[in-house]
Amino acid sequence: MTPVALVERLLQLVPVLLGIAAVVFFMMALTPGDPVELMLGDALATPEQKESLRRDMGLDRPAPERFALFLKNAATGEFGMSFHHRRPVGQVILERVPATVELTLASMLIALVLGIGLGVLAAVKRDSWIDRVATVTSLVGVSMPGFWFGILLILLFAVALGVLPVSGRIGYAGEVPFVTRFLLVDTLIAGRVDSFLDALRHLLLPAVTLGLAMAAFLMRVTRASMLEALAQDYVTFAEAKGISRARVLFRHALKNALIPTVTVAAIETGTLLGGNMIVETVFGWPGLGRLVVEGIFTRNYPLVQACVLLYAVTYVLLNFCADLLYAALNPRVRL
Amino acid sequence: MRHAAVAVSTALTLLLAGAASAAELRVGYSSDITTLDPANHRSRVTEGVIHNMYDAVVTRTDDMKVVPEIAESFKQIDATTYEAKIRKGIKFHDGSALTAEDVKFTFDRLTKENAMGGKTSPRKSLVGPVADTIVVDPLTVRFKLGNPWPIFPAYLPFNQVVSKAHVEKVGTDGMATKAMGSGPFKLVEWRRGDSVILERFADYYGGAADIPPAGPARVDRLIFKVIPEPASRVAALMAGEVDLIDELPHHAIKQIEGNPKTRVLKTNGTRSFFIDLNNRKPPFNDARVRQAANHAVNRQLIIDRILNGLAVPLATLISPDSYGYNAALKPYAYDPARAKALLAEAGHPNGLEVTIDVDNAFKDQAEAVAASMSQAGFKASVRLWERTALTDLWKDPEKHDRQMQFRSWGDGALDPVGIFVPVLKSRDRGNFSGYSNAEVDKLLTAADTETDVAKRSKMYQDAQAIIHKETPLIYLWLPQDVYGASKRLKSWQPSPRGIIKLHRAQVEG
Repeated sequence: MTPVALVERLLQLVPVLLGIAAVVFFMMALTPGDPVELMLGDALATPEQKESLRRDMGLDRPAPERFALFLKNAATGEFGMSFHHRRPVGQVILERVPATVELTLASMLIALVLGIGLGVLAAVKRDSWIDRVATVTSLVGVSMPGFWFGILLILLFAVALGVLPVSGRIGYAGEVPFVTRFLLVDTLIAGRVDSFLDALRHLLLPAVTLGLAMAAFLMRVTRASMLEALAQDYVTFAEAKGISRARVLFRHALKNALIPTVTVAAIETGTLLGGNMIVETVFGWPGLGRLVVEGIFTRNYPLVQACVLLYAVTYVLLNFCADLLYAALNPRVRL
Repeated sequence: MRHAAVAVSTALTLLLAGAASAAELRVGYSSDITTLDPANHRSRVTEGVIHNMYDAVVTRTDDMKVVPEIAESFKQIDATTYEAKIRKGIKFHDGSALTAEDVKFTFDRLTKENAMGGKTSPRKSLVGPVADTIVVDPLTVRFKLGNPWPIFPAYLPFNQVVSKAHVEKVGTDGMATKAMGSGPFKLVEWRRGDSVILERFADYYGGAADIPPAGPARVDRLIFKVIPEPASRVAALMAGEVDLIDELPHHAIKQIEGNPKTRVLKTNGTRSFFIDLNNRKPPFNDARVRQAANHAVNRQLIIDRILNGLAVPLATLISPDSYGYNAALKPYAYDPARAKALLAEAGHPNGLEVTIDVDNAFKDQAEAVAASMSQAGFKASVRLWERTALTDLWKDPEKHDRQMQFRSWGDGALDPVGIFVPVLKSRDRGNFSGYSNAEVDKLLTAADTETDVAKRSKMYQDAQAIIHKETPLIYLWLPQDVYGASKRLKSWQPSPRGIIKLHRAQVEG
């Protein structure tokens, strides 16, 4: 990719983000429910006190003016004060990002290993029982709602068998100081192998819940493209040359079959971000997804706007990465 | 990976079993707190956690009586002056002494405009007309009110005392995350979104003298673990991961009761449910029709079938736990014959068509009320609205033609001033039925400034007798708050305050 093309792609981001900012802002502004009334409930408050709270929240100004201010501030990375935390939004969000990134990466890892592994296996053993089991499993994986599957896993592994924890990131958080806020890293920095393993146990169920749908999807893509690759002349030719089966599969067929899988995986990671909201709620995972859900219920405008923008930027960048990867893996494509 | 995890978990279980010998109490909490600053929120869940770290001038017993906490005595001097003598030797978590200066600083911070880093405390309205807080001597402080406000003591437990030196050191920004109070537990760490970890404060003065036993907390460590999903919260309790959960979903009650290691705890809430009747327009401008409506609702049946038995029927809109409650009044009996007779008397011998407005959250309850009314001479139907739209529509009783609105009103202080006045005093902020009765207004206005506790209570009781007869609303029920607890947890009972203060709680085994 030439530097010009790169700049061009990045510039395309601007209208996308502007559009998203406008949609989010006005959707929140038009959603019924007054943040001040929601915050005060039925409790005693004089009209003056309500006005003063409204002023503190910046809600005494008309929506277009608030939108202009929001854009101006957003350009400088300033998103205002979270209504309920009464701290800067950026600070509130940053505290929650590492947990979400950790969970997303773990789910992605599970999805890639399971999805590609089973996909290749199903293609190679086509029409065998392995193929059928894998296909049915992937169908279940794609169709099963995350919140339900998560609860099932909790009931089985935490309540009935008692081998894995129900919720949270670690058993007793006080033992390991935050350095990077990535617990798997922080526990190792602290030299606590036991805490590291505990964090890993906490990560397992949410990561499986979140990663399963993506694994199922990747498995289907991998299986299809692997089957296609195996039917190609160059595979027949390689086999005719007497190259070992394993070498044909992995060096010749899989390398080509992975091109669609990898690009799909990059895009699907964006979907994982959406799934986070549900999985984080079910497993009490202290990430960004849950923060957004809470923010929506309490009409915490600045918080929701900033989070959605962050999601949008991430999603667009992931798509961009998918394009780059595709070009890198497939010499026929040039950006 | 799963095998590895199982092996690891076995090893860890052994490891953790050793560590658990220090008494640790874990609470599965439905939402995360928003701040640790007692003066910078309007959230009951936040307040619930803060109460374990910060004590107040006065507090409430489980049956809602207001008693001194850090105060040795608390009394009223005249109509607008209250005096608190602070107990000697109370220490903040940093070892410094709590004095009258800290109390003054706390209330100045709550009441003065822009006193919190350029912003005003969102809890200002919970302090009432406090005009000034005066330090009389190092352990005596006087609250001077701008006008008489007899419920000042009832609202005082909502505001906890902070350390002047600490706030000046960390600033209002720092207060959000750095707690330092005089309560039974001190902060170890707040992991945002995940947990609040507290440990016993060894030098605690012991808490309210009127709530035995006094002394430091009886567990070494207290953890509020955020588990927002109800099913997961129940699972965490069943798995023994937590000892107490709030907001136990009704469908899980049997499951928790059936488990040998867990139990269900209940207490009356503070939110009354009722139906506004439009008192300004026919048909509900006729008291007989309103009484008929009250006789037409089978409260107990709806409570049993729809609310899983977890509510108490109401005689008026005042909770039985409230100050000034008139215990002589009984809920209207379900009496379809009487309802039909009253309707006929009012000129509706062939029944009366009515519509109940409700928002989605309470659709099933409103429908049950409509069904019940339809068997007693009314032809009731339900119309669904979005909550905010409904509030806008009903806001001005003079201007709309709606008939009935299913609604509720919360009263955390359990004093009629927080519910009776707004909902039924003429033209008050929550009076959507348009009810206006000069005698009731007179009693409520007089009670606003009556400083004699017994006389004031009598005024509210008299006013309740009037609204019980005139029935400007259909009085429905008061739902209960439900908690799930492990049987290890001892010496803790929920209270209508909805605050989980675990100073006296113990865990066994």
